[in-house]
Amino acid sequence: MKTNTNIFILLTVFYLVVAVVYGYWSWLESPAEHKQIEVIGTAAIGMLVFLSGFIAFYLGKSAKNFTGPEDMPDANIEDGEAEVGFFAPWSWWPLMLGIGGALCFTSLAVGWWIFVIGFPLALIALIGFVFEHSRGLHAH
Amino acid sequence: MIIEAKKSKGRIVVDWLTTTDHKKIGYLYLITAFMYFMIAGVMALLIRAQLAMPGLTIIETKEQYNQLFTMHGTIMLLMFATPLFAGFANVLMPLQIGAPDVAFPRLNAIAYWFYFFGSFIAVAGFFTPQGAAGFGWFAYAPLSSTTFSPGLGGDLWVFGLALSGFGTIMGGVNFITTIITMRAPGMTMFRMPIFTWNTLVTSILVIMCFPPLAAALFALGADRKFGAHIFDPANGGPMLWQHLFWFFGHPEVYILALPFFGIVSEIFPVFSRKPVFGYRTLVYATIAIAALSMTVWAHHMYVTGSVLLPFFAFTTMLIAVPTGVKIFNWIGTMWRGSVTFETPMLWSLGFLTTFIFGGLTGVILASPALDFHLSDSYFVVAHFHYVVFGTVVFAMFAGFYFWWPKMTGKMLNERLGKIHFWMLFVGFHVTFLIQHWLGVIGMPRRYATYLEGDGFTWMNQVSTAGAALLGLSMLPFLWNVWITHRNGVKVEMNDPWGYGRSLEWATGSPVPRHNFTSIPRIRSESPAFDLNHPEFASPEAKPVAPKKEKVKA
Repeated sequence: MKTNTNIFILLTVFYLVVAVVYGYWSWLESPAEHKQIEVIGTAAIGMLVFLSGFIAFYLGKSAKNFTGPEDMPDANIEDGEAEVGFFAPWSWWPLMLGIGGALCFTSLAVGWWIFVIGFPLALIALIGFVFEHSRGLHAH
Repeated sequence: MIIEAKKSKGRIVVDWLTTTDHKKIGYLYLITAFMYFMIAGVMALLIRAQLAMPGLTIIETKEQYNQLFTMHGTIMLLMFATPLFAGFANVLMPLQIGAPDVAFPRLNAIAYWFYFFGSFIAVAGFFTPQGAAGFGWFAYAPLSSTTFSPGLGGDLWVFGLALSGFGTIMGGVNFITTIITMRAPGMTMFRMPIFTWNTLVTSILVIMCFPPLAAALFALGADRKFGAHIFDPANGGPMLWQHLFWFFGHPEVYILALPFFGIVSEIFPVFSRKPVFGYRTLVYATIAIAALSMTVWAHHMYVTGSVLLPFFAFTTMLIAVPTGVKIFNWIGTMWRGSVTFETPMLWSLGFLTTFIFGGLTGVILASPALDFHLSDSYFVVAHFHYVVFGTVVFAMFAGFYFWWPKMTGKMLNERLGKIHFWMLFVGFHVTFLIQHWLGVIGMPRRYATYLEGDGFTWMNQVSTAGAALLGLSMLPFLWNVWITHRNGVKVEMNDPWGYGRSLEWATGSPVPRHNFTSIPRIRSESPAFDLNHPEFASPEAKPVAPKKEKVKA
């Protein structure tokens, strides 16, 4: 977990430095009569600071509660959980959601009438996808 | 091995449509991407045919020519190379970390279907009366506005790519989660194969740079369909678009490159019989390339005259350093190894030589003083084909030949593979090497034809002849796939190459559902090699309790 967190901390610090340097440098180089920073690039890199910082924060938080055998250099295979997780053996819903999504996006390009068909389909597929393996609250 | 009952054709179709198996989804990605590779390849051949002589009209109108190069670029980058990454990552990454599947199998399937339908929507422009999008794959404003590019093709392009982009983001999130949470016990981050590392870093790049593209595309869609004025030149729209697009577009190049660097990093050690040279520096170089790649976007915009030249020239040249480290490591891996030249190795060497050319011309173009002269000429075309074709296509075939037994259980034919390689290698270099000089003497990009007196004729003819050979080189490959499918001998062993290093070589070929019946102990970055060649295993992997007793007895 530590390595993962460190990657994102590294990225956060790097983009923070780049955002400051780029913003300041672009301000320096802008014409004297119209001093301003280059807004688009500075904002975009600024958002990367936020994105990587956010992930670093989350991974750091969860690393405190959880460090599994996958991060221990001397762990054996049998140290892992026997039950890795639940994996859907197959599902119709991804394809349905794909078709629904595709119709919705096509309707943006072609005409609203496709939306009338696509949106209900996407909605049904979304509900089907979310509740496919649900057995009710706390039933698992 | 479990022998399954023969399934009816309908059952097989349903199995593929509803699959949540990471390998099957990976194969779907690889097959679809390869289809698009051939479609866009035919477009490229049409473009080369049109340029074979001055004044030809093989392609009837200039608008159709625009559509061809636009869709050639769009398809090759977003419907071939990017999903090809998703394909290889899907098939291999869970195997390499010892996981039974990816973290979100159904999300994985949605990602594929979004890519499938999104790409189809974008390409469907060809079936409309005015044809597909023709404003270049970068869709510069205001050319991409309805004033200059009317027609449904452009709208379909915008929204198709947006849908497909969402699929890519979902795929990226899925890969990151899988690598962080689903590694087998003992598979620490610094024991992951380089390919898995590169998948992780590429996925991080995906979640950093695809959202700006989605935002930019929706804004462009709003301009085109709903009368917004976001990219209106009156309020600085063209610069806004270029910044947003290249903020996506440059990291995209590394999204294409990094996973394929990963593939060759897996192949060099196996056929040199040596562990990869400088494992950690390779990882750090990958992270450095990814981090830097987000800060170089405006080197595509030097000629706008309103970007910070020294900043972008500096960062762009800086990125050559970690790339150089990688090349040094690959050569170091082969250095004094017992190198053999099976097809995967041949393709990896083809990658290395081709990519170095592309990297070097990249440094030339990074220098603003030179770029002002070379921008929008065939020099740039040659440069990025060396970079992208060099990495993606060469490493793709390296990966196909290398992992074909793992994917299908049968080895591809070596002789046909070598014919394929040499035809493609010669064809590629004949096509694109000469284009550097075409650019230097002034042939501009994207022109549908040229004049007799321009002096471009013979160079274009060389290039077109090379392209024909390049196109023909697909035939031995397709034939190889067919005869291997028909007559290929089953390999029936875990590691047909004999010196496989990462975990995928410790399970059956083809791989069973949920991947492993048993996983070997993981004590280094090459657990399969430690298992099969204990006498050469890395020191920390060596001491095994029962073995010591045997020695004593």
